[in-house]
Amino acid sequence: MRTRFARLLIIASALGISAWAQEPAAAGANAPARRGGGPAAPSGPVPRLANGKPDLNGLLNGGPSSQDIGLNLMTGEQIVLTPSAEKLMKERRPKDDPEANCLPAGVPRMAPYPWRIVQQSTHIFILFEANIHSYRQILIDGRQHTPEANRWPSWYGDSIGSWDGDTLVVDTVGFNDRFWFDAKGHPHTDQLHTIERYTRKDLGTLVVETTIIDPGAYVKPFKISYSARYAPKDELMEYICAENNQDVTHISTPTGLR
Amino acid sequence: MRLTMRTKVGVVTAGFELVLLALPALAHHSFAAEYDSNKKVNVTGTVKKVEWTNPHSRMYLEVKDAKGTVTLWNFEFGSPNHLFRAGWTRNTVKEGDQITVEGFPAKDGSHLAQTRQVTLADGRKVPGFAGGADSGGAPTQ
Repeated sequence: MRTRFARLLIIASALGISAWAQEPAAAGANAPARRGGGPAAPSGPVPRLANGKPDLNGLLNGGPSSQDIGLNLMTGEQIVLTPSAEKLMKERRPKDDPEANCLPAGVPRMAPYPWRIVQQSTHIFILFEANIHSYRQILIDGRQHTPEANRWPSWYGDSIGSWDGDTLVVDTVGFNDRFWFDAKGHPHTDQLHTIERYTRKDLGTLVVETTIIDPGAYVKPFKISYSARYAPKDELMEYICAENNQDVTHISTPTGLR
Repeated sequence: MRLTMRTKVGVVTAGFELVLLALPALAHHSFAAEYDSNKKVNVTGTVKKVEWTNPHSRMYLEVKDAKGTVTLWNFEFGSPNHLFRAGWTRNTVKEGDQITVEGFPAKDGSHLAQTRQVTLADGRKVPGFAGGADSGGAPTQ
């Protein structure tokens, strides 16, 4: 049922784009290059850098559901909350969602806006258009995690990356416990450890599989996945969430109403 | 010619209805906690102010009732990022335009609503929450 609904969302979104695109007079002459996040993802083989590694650079659309991370569970995976995490999730209210309050989405949550991978030989940056207009930094120069004494709990954690064949593996620890995995309020603790596997399947597609490990909130680790599409003709736009966020002052209903 | 125009509008409306199914779940915040999808607002008025801001664009509409009383409505639209990617420009709605807006009202009773559809000054109907990257996690075009 969830899968069906997710498919419907994809179809609806795609139709919405094409329908509006049929109104050139309303669209104006200047917009087409950016319309709907650009044209369909390009097709072709995986591009590579001079060192032979896959070139992950580019602007992408797609991420895990910001509403319910359960929609992205991989086959056979289950989310099993500890009793304390279950209690916390039930107590959470939509108005308190940090994402709705313009705070960072953390990992693995992403707002439904484009993001860009900037790949260097020593660092990879993920630039988020929204929410918030921020970035993640992943060290890929062989360094290990920053010692615990030298870091403090943070929204995006401490990320190091390495290559497993053609897959970039990003290992992140050092998170704070403040962000929610989704609008449903799936919680985590500062014991959270994520392992993300980024694989560019072809010119247009990036598949990301993430293992969530947090014995403080989940009885066992679980894996989610999503597919993102490259949009080479689109560019990031400014998104300053806090400039006019009126919503939370009008949200007061219980967490069950979503 | 007239028939062609009607057909175009029909296609736009059909596409928009589908998008609507997705929108309440995909906004930046919880839709159901803020808006009532069982009620509808449909008003015509004069655009007093347009805010191209995040997380949502907003258009403030002065609406006059039969007695001449003017009410200022605050209509929430998609973010400028979504709207512009979907083809909106700064000229699609301008201050002073007479437009009709249809949407879901806020549950708290304030003169606030999330926009479904706008009938522009020239009669064209366009969605107020245009698709674009607002996919809620699904890959998009």
